[in-house]
Amino acid sequence: MKWWIAGAVVLVAAAIVPTFLDPTGYAIRVLTLALLFAALGQAWNIVGGLANQISLGHAAFFGLGAYTSTILLINFGLSPWIGMLAGAAIAAVAAYLLSFPTMKLRGHYFALATLAFSEVLRVIAGSWTSVTGGPVGLSVPFSPDSFWLLQFKSTMPYYYIMLGALVVISGVFLWVRHSSLGYRLRALKENPEAAEVVGVNTTQVKITAAVISAALTATLGTLYAQFTYFFDPEAVFGIIPISVRAAIIAILGGAGTVVGPIIGAFLIVPMEEMANVLLSSRGAGLSQLAFGVMLIAIILIEPRGILALITNGVSRLRRRKSS
Amino acid sequence: MAFIQAVLDGLMIGGVYAVISIGLTLVFGVMGIVNFAQAEFLTLGMFVAYFAWKFLGLDPLIGSFLSFVVIFGLGVVVQMTLIQRVLNAPPVAQIFVTVGLLIVIENLTLIVFGSDFHSVTTSYQTSTLRLGPLFIGVPYLAAFLMALLSAAALWLFTNKTWYGRAMRATAQDPMAANLMGINADRMRQIAFGLGVGMTAFGGAVILPYFTVHPTVGHQFVVLMFTVVVLGGLGSVAGAVVGGFAVGVIQSVSTLFFPIQLQNLVLFIVFLTVLAVRPTGLIGAAR
Repeated sequence: MKWWIAGAVVLVAAAIVPTFLDPTGYAIRVLTLALLFAALGQAWNIVGGLANQISLGHAAFFGLGAYTSTILLINFGLSPWIGMLAGAAIAAVAAYLLSFPTMKLRGHYFALATLAFSEVLRVIAGSWTSVTGGPVGLSVPFSPDSFWLLQFKSTMPYYYIMLGALVVISGVFLWVRHSSLGYRLRALKENPEAAEVVGVNTTQVKITAAVISAALTATLGTLYAQFTYFFDPEAVFGIIPISVRAAIIAILGGAGTVVGPIIGAFLIVPMEEMANVLLSSRGAGLSQLAFGVMLIAIILIEPRGILALITNGVSRLRRRKSS
Repeated sequence: MAFIQAVLDGLMIGGVYAVISIGLTLVFGVMGIVNFAQAEFLTLGMFVAYFAWKFLGLDPLIGSFLSFVVIFGLGVVVQMTLIQRVLNAPPVAQIFVTVGLLIVIENLTLIVFGSDFHSVTTSYQTSTLRLGPLFIGVPYLAAFLMALLSAAALWLFTNKTWYGRAMRATAQDPMAANLMGINADRMRQIAFGLGVGMTAFGGAVILPYFTVHPTVGHQFVVLMFTVVVLGGLGSVAGAVVGGFAVGVIQSVSTLFFPIQLQNLVLFIVFLTVLAVRPTGLIGAAR
């Protein structure tokens, strides 16, 4: 049960930290983004980590969430809380439909198909100008300090909302992992044929995981739109800014573990932000370059992520002590 | 007549699509790796040809050979230092090494060359040939012919030379190839070098009618994947057929849909083919 205590301590610390920070400052903004992307990595983790289905298309669901709630807000004045549910529902349906062409695909083929799907949506968002604003994107109408409209002048409320999202999604992840669905997902990951033989309906398992992951990802898209007030097709449907980043955050920390995406996000997001601040004067691209180099390095050193690197190191130390 | 013209335009551009995609399928055929950074090597090839034009006065059609050689060398280095190390790793490692490479190359070009758009000027840039009621732009025809030439050269290499046969043997069974005295690692280096070199060559020959900038590869990513999946990942002949098919689909679809949706039609074709026959419509399954 030590595990629960550690989790509670971290959570309490996370709840206290912002009280020491300037509520409209830069540091809390970076932490808020890190929480958002940790939650995104966690949502990806349900499919990518547990089922080992390497999706490169999670931007599809993220973007659906951002666009659905924002379009409903602009055109009908509908609260993003409701728009969030609508976006999640649409993303769930999209994931369900997408599962038919991708059901039998694995590895590279699955990655390619999901990538193409998010590109389809990016192209639609870029060309359906009357609804989506086209390549220019959408601005969320600004009417701050309304919980109902999810808009605040200070970053502090967003911090707690993202923290809440991360806790909820991590909870869903743990629930999936320890439920019978999780055991079937693991069987699927280890050996799909064997899982099929012992009576696991692999198709149904994959679809369920994909739908849960997609719906959660869409809610984060809504939160992102409300947090940034402005987005364009590239920002929410982009392969590298969303899909690749979600996957990398989970993989870098340790895919399939609940702390993996949290470690990954709290390494990557502040690093990127810091690099942006330090290097942006020396030209665009440097921080992204560092991001790419880091990705390659971690894959070559320990493809199972930093968590595995740490646990390996710890067990090696222990062995040395005991011998 | 508009339809025939569209098909003709599609065939012209399709030849180039075939050549830029051959590398992707070749690398997959030999080592089972999908190079997500393939389009970035196209960008690099275009930059090499652009600078060869700017500083040496080389026409891009000649500069394309330089692009091939330079990017071939780069490909060998990338294979030795990066790809080789994930050959037996799970797909997730393979995917993200090449995705990382994509990010690195894209941002390196951005840092080194800036975000400006560059284009070359040639004497034949605006010339058109007339075939009865049909028209062909000279730069398109030139790129098409160069593409055919390079595809033919690759075919001769893989089928008529010892190295080519050794490379195919490695693709079929690396262990057996090793036992027959073939250095499988060397063959993989050649394959990767050829793979990205061909793509760079294809990028260079379209330079007379295409501007180059660090993110130019984006427009080709899904296009390349569609070509190789249509033709069957791993099949070089399939990539040629797939290239023509994609060129024609793209060109003809502009008759019926707004031009922004051109790629949408392609993506739908891509997803449909993956769903129905992931091993490709044409060519051998792997």
